[in-house]
Parts: sequence; structure tokens; C-alpha cells
Amino acid sequence: MTLVLSAEVQTVAADSYPDVSGSYADVSGLVERSAAAYASSVPEHPADDGFFGAGSVTWRLSTDLSGPVAGLRSLMIQALHPLAMAGVDQHSDWRGDPVGRLAATSSYVTTVSVGDKATAERVSARVRRIHEHVRGVDSVTGQPYAAGDPALLLWVHAALVDSTIAAAQLFGAPLSAADADRYVAEMVAAAELVGVPRAMVPDSVAALQHYLGSVRPILQATPAARESMAYLLDPPGLDPDVAEIWQDVREGTIASLPGWARDMYGYEMAGPLTDARRTEIRQALGVLDTVFLGEPGVLEARQRLALRMRAARVA
Amino acid sequence: MKKAIFAALTLGTAAAATVLARRARGLRLSRGLAALQLALRGGARYAGSAPRLFMLAGEHRQQLRNDLALQTAEDVATTLGAMKGVLMKLGQMASYVDDSLPPEARRTLGRLQDSVPPMSAELAAGVITEELGMPPEQVFAEWDPEPIAAASIGQVHRAITRDGRAVAVKVQYPGIAETIEADLGNVSLLRRMLRIIAPGQDVEALVNELRERIVEELDYSREAYNQQLFADYYDGHPTIHVPSIVSELSTRRVVTSDLATGARFSELAGWSQQERDLAAETIYRFVFRSLYDMRAFNGDPHPGNYLFHGGGEVTFLDFGLVKHFTVAELRPLMDMARYLCVENDPEAFRRSLEDAGFIQPGAPLSTDVIVDHLAVFYDTIRKPGELTITGDYSSAVVRRFFDVRSPIAPYAQVPRSYVILQRINLGVFALLGELTATADWRGIAEEIWPFVQAPPSTPIGEAEAAWRARRPAEQIRRQAS
Repeated sequence: MTLVLSAEVQTVAADSYPDVSGSYADVSGLVERSAAAYASSVPEHPADDGFFGAGSVTWRLSTDLSGPVAGLRSLMIQALHPLAMAGVDQHSDWRGDPVGRLAATSSYVTTVSVGDKATAERVSARVRRIHEHVRGVDSVTGQPYAAGDPALLLWVHAALVDSTIAAAQLFGAPLSAADADRYVAEMVAAAELVGVPRAMVPDSVAALQHYLGSVRPILQATPAARESMAYLLDPPGLDPDVAEIWQDVREGTIASLPGWARDMYGYEMAGPLTDARRTEIRQALGVLDTVFLGEPGVLEARQRLALRMRAARVA
Repeated sequence: MKKAIFAALTLGTAAAATVLARRARGLRLSRGLAALQLALRGGARYAGSAPRLFMLAGEHRQQLRNDLALQTAEDVATTLGAMKGVLMKLGQMASYVDDSLPPEARRTLGRLQDSVPPMSAELAAGVITEELGMPPEQVFAEWDPEPIAAASIGQVHRAITRDGRAVAVKVQYPGIAETIEADLGNVSLLRRMLRIIAPGQDVEALVNELRERIVEELDYSREAYNQQLFADYYDGHPTIHVPSIVSELSTRRVVTSDLATGARFSELAGWSQQERDLAAETIYRFVFRSLYDMRAFNGDPHPGNYLFHGGGEVTFLDFGLVKHFTVAELRPLMDMARYLCVENDPEAFRRSLEDAGFIQPGAPLSTDVIVDHLAVFYDTIRKPGELTITGDYSSAVVRRFFDVRSPIAPYAQVPRSYVILQRINLGVFALLGELTATADWRGIAEEIWPFVQAPPSTPIGEAEAAWRARRPAEQIRRQAS
């Protein structure tokens, strides 16, 4: 689990990325737009504490430093399901406006996590409506797909939950095994909101791992998945100093992947993730978080959450 | 005096401006990240230039969010770990040397500061107990658990000592030193960032310097030492007041000084112009008296660091950033002032600039061009008579600073030991400009210039001369040596 690419391997990997220049928009405004989406998703006058509550592990993890790694890792795992990838690739404006798509996704996750119940239900209903129109045939496997298919939605859900835990355990504030279990159980509600029947959703880390293993035979890194992830891991048009930080996020993400996922993408492990390297990646995440904090509204949103979490702790 | 300084400043900042301009084009993922890198560069410049500069104490966050107060040392670590504490220190250092930080950088760093809530009453009391051996209620006759101000890595409380002294007690966050030191234990990220923003520099030396400087600043006892130095020097001064340190109640993490009260800078705006002029005169005297007599410069002319009492009396707070000059470092500054303003000898002026390293010797520039370019920085003291420092003047000075097209820019730089003096240009004069202060600055300068030592030119000057005459000969000798 705790593995990292050596510099050499990384170079090879970078060279082996498909050339995606031209097919995707650049990532201008990634931080600004994600921050705006985040700030507006943390309610100022919530009607209630939402589906998880201010004392939940979900809330705590929603403010963890490891967020960017969790997000990237989720996307990398989700993309390995050919039908999930095809849905994104053939229907969303992912290529034309990848930043907008990422911001919308993180806004959705934030709203469902810390928004009040009515708002979480409203945004989920909207997502379900959009999913109704996302249907097609995957060109790689020849199989038909529908975004509203609970099996696909469950995959997306499980990848997110697993990635949030993996990223936090590697780079975030300490997360006990009991809290990890609690988190998986809490997040069942999120899966239900997008339309997965409760009975299908893993409610413990063990159940989650079992489920992930059961899907593995149908996973593969399709050309669309490789292309999208190569783009995310090495977005075009990054300023060199920004690219420097991004390199840490990328390496942290790759190190956090399960071995089988790394294998599918063709990344090799060169050795264990050393403590020093882990600290360095954590520092880079702290720098990114500081940048995020500097964006309008983010500090206030964090403070709103912190106040409610504190009240829950005292109560 | 300040002219020399001005000269110094212009030159180096021009180079910085070029870098800034270049940088501004490349911001794509986030301007905020570039902002932090700027802060880092400012910090590096500071480290590279300031052998003895300390922490800025009294940064006043917009409001103290007590409802978010940090409860435990773990809260401190979570809030300021993962480089955040280090970045905060670097941001402060950057602001000491670089008022040119773009708005994004200011915003990012300001928000970082704002993101650190005050300590809970219990947490602060715990630090007092650890440092002074007893809980605050026992150390002090009275202790106000509500902080009155935020400091960069601590907060300020009011108290009354057992012998009845009203004091301000600055308390450092518990665990902050360990948290920051832990991050500085792994400098690979720092090293990589510096390699990008300071290409061609000795990155290892910079990293070591930054690490040492930051660790040094985590120790409040340096600040206490410097403040007491100023308090002793200005003891009995008619208009300059510096609160004394209570040394038995000061440690590495706690610094206790006399509590001062007075009007804030913002209130001064509502006072009569005459009052504002007197306050400005005192600030001016303080800056240049300290520089020429104490060979020391308090590099933090932040408006929050003054309290005003009327009649030109000013209390100076916060000695977290003090630079001490050697006689050899001070001499060229004096020579430059003397040759340009008093002896009217441009060639000698130029030689002083060259000797101190401000201008490359043998630069293909006429001395007239050099003098012309630097004249604006000397405007207030080249000629006798009253003169008003306006906001327009101070911004013209700043603009001149950043004029990269200046013919002398390619041949100019600010030697390491003078970088901190930028604060006179960018801080003190901005302050005086805000006050639209009028005085015979040249007359005051002549009183202070050691090579002129003119008689008092103002009533405050008279009172100051009387104070100097009263001072023990031993103290004056010490300064002269």
C-alpha cells in the first residue's frame, strides 16, 4: 500500500502518458473554481445537521488535508470501470471543461456531506435526473450502460469512500480503524441519495473491501481512462512552480492506490513510501490547503463547520 | 540618512520588480500558490539579509474568534502543521522586506493568519504555568483570561503584577515551536520550492538560514532583550516611550512588559493637523535617533505598533524585528547623506554608494544620472525649510522604487545588511504621508546627523536636547564606542 515511484520509473511513466494536448482544456482556475464551489456548498443557515451530523466522521474527513489525494484517487479508481468511464467520457463536458466538471463534483460531495437534508436531497434528485439521460454503449466492451444503474453508482460510491479512507490514513490526521468503519457506515446514506438501494451498500471496511474485490474482474484501464487520468496527473499548462506541488499530489495519489489499480494503469512500484517522502507530500498538501484557504469564502466556510463540530463535541 | 537608505532600496527592489513581472505571467493553477512562493522568496531574502531580525509580535488579526479557540496542543499542531506555521513565518518575513507583495499574496497570507484562532483561556493558562511555574491567577495579582490582541504565534493578555504593575503578557501557542521545528526537520519541499524561485542561489545555505532564523524567532527572549534595549535608551525621553520588560516574568514563550494605553493610529486621523505633525516628528526622530545613536533599527513600522498620547508623545510597541548595524555598516549611509546633502559632492556620494555595494563600481553611468535618479529619495532633506510629506510623495517614492526601466537598475542592488531599511522607505514614509505631516525635516536631520549635530530646531528638539544633556555620561559613551 505504502509505495512510491522512484524518479526513474516516474519519468518512464510520464513519457508513456498518451499525448492529450489539444483534446482537453487546460486547468486554469482549478483552485479558484473548486474553492468557490466549496464555499457555496457549506450552508450559512442550515435547517438541520444533514444526513451525517456535526459529530460524524464524514464531517471530520471533509476538512482533512488529504482531500486532493482522496479526490484524485477516487477518480482513478472510478475510471477503471469501463462503463462508468464511458458514461463520463461520452456524455459529460469533461473534455471541454474538466475544471468545471471537477468543481461540480466536489460541490456535490460537499453538499451531500455537510448540507442540510433538504438541500442534499435536492442536489441528489438533480443528479438522478441528469443520470436518466446518460445511456449508451461502451465502445471498448460493447456493453450497454446507464448512469442510473445502481451497480455503477455503487462502484462510484465505493471508490470515493475507499479513497477517502486511504488518503486520510496516508496523509491526513490520524484515523482509527473504528472511525474508518464508522465512516463507511455513515456514507451508506450518501449512496442511497443517488439511488443505490441500502441493502446493496457496504457498511463496514471489511464489507467495502469485499465488494471492491468482487468487481475487480470487470475492471480495466480503457484508452479513455488512461487518457483522462494522464491528463489529471499531469495537466497541461501548469506553471513550473505549481507543477512542482502537483507532482507531490500525483505521487501521493499513485502511492495511495491499491497495487492492482497501479498495475492496470501500468505504474510500477519502486519501493516503499519513506517517512520523509510522506512528510514531504503532506507538506505539499498543507501548502495547497493554504492556497485554498486564501480563496474568498473558504475560511468562513471552514469556520462555520468548525463551530458546529465544536458544539457537537461539547454536547 | 534616509537618502542613503532610499538609494539602497531603490536599487534592489528594481530587480525584485522584474522577477515579479515575470512571475505574474505564469499563474495558472492558482495565483494563491504563486503568492506563497513569493512569500517564500521574501523570506529567503530576509534570511539572506538579516543576521539579527526577530519575530513580529503584534499582528492584529481582524477579530479574535474566541468561539473557535484552540483547546489543546494537538489543535495547535493540526492548525499549524503541514507547513502552515512555516508558511506563516515566511509570510511575515516577506512582509518585512517586500511591501511589493501583490494583493493575492497579501490575501493568502492574511487568511492564513486569520485561520489560526486564539487559545482557550485554559490553554493559555497552561503555558503560563509551564513557563512561570504557577497558574496565571497566582503569578499575577490580576489576570484577564480574555486576550486583547493576537500575535503571530501567540496572543496578548492584560494582567497586574503582584507589585501592582499593569502589564501586557504575550503568550506563545503551546507546541507551536515543536510543530514548526518538525516541519523544518524535513526541508525537501522547501528546498525544491526555493530552487525554483531562487535559481542560481545557494539553496542549501538559504534553507539553513531560513531554518535557523525561524527557530530563532520562536524564542521570545530575543524580542524582550531588544525591547529593553530601546526602553533603556529612551528612558526619560520627552516624547518617545518604550514599555519596559518585566524580565522575571519573561521566558522563551512568555514576554511581559508594561501595559501601554493610548490612541491608535486610526484615531490620529481625527486629530488636529498640529497634533499629527508632532506625532510624525516623534516617529521620525525615533527612527533616525535609533539608527544613528543606537545603530539599531526597529523594522516594523506597522500602524498598529504605535500608541499616541497627544503633544507628540508616542509609545512604540513591538520589537520583534530589530536589526543592529555595525559601525562599518552605518558609515556609508552617513557618508552618502553627508556628501549629497551637506557637502554637495556628487562624486564622493557616488563613491560611497560604490563602497557600500549599492552601485557597481565602474558602471557606465554618469554621476549626474545616478544623482538624478536618487534625488526623489532625498527630497525631504536636501533643503532646509518646512515641507509636507504627502501620500503622493510616498507613492512616488514607491513607484520610483519599482521603476525597472531606470537606467541605473542594471547596476544597482541592495547589499544584504541594508535590505531591512526598505521599511523606512515603504513603511515609515507611507505612515508620514498618511498623516500629511509637515516639518522642517532637514532641520531635524541636522540635529541627529552625527557629522552636523546642529542645535534644536523645534520644541521637541529642545526637550530632546535637554534629555540628552541629563543622561549619564556612561550611557552616551557606550553608544559612541
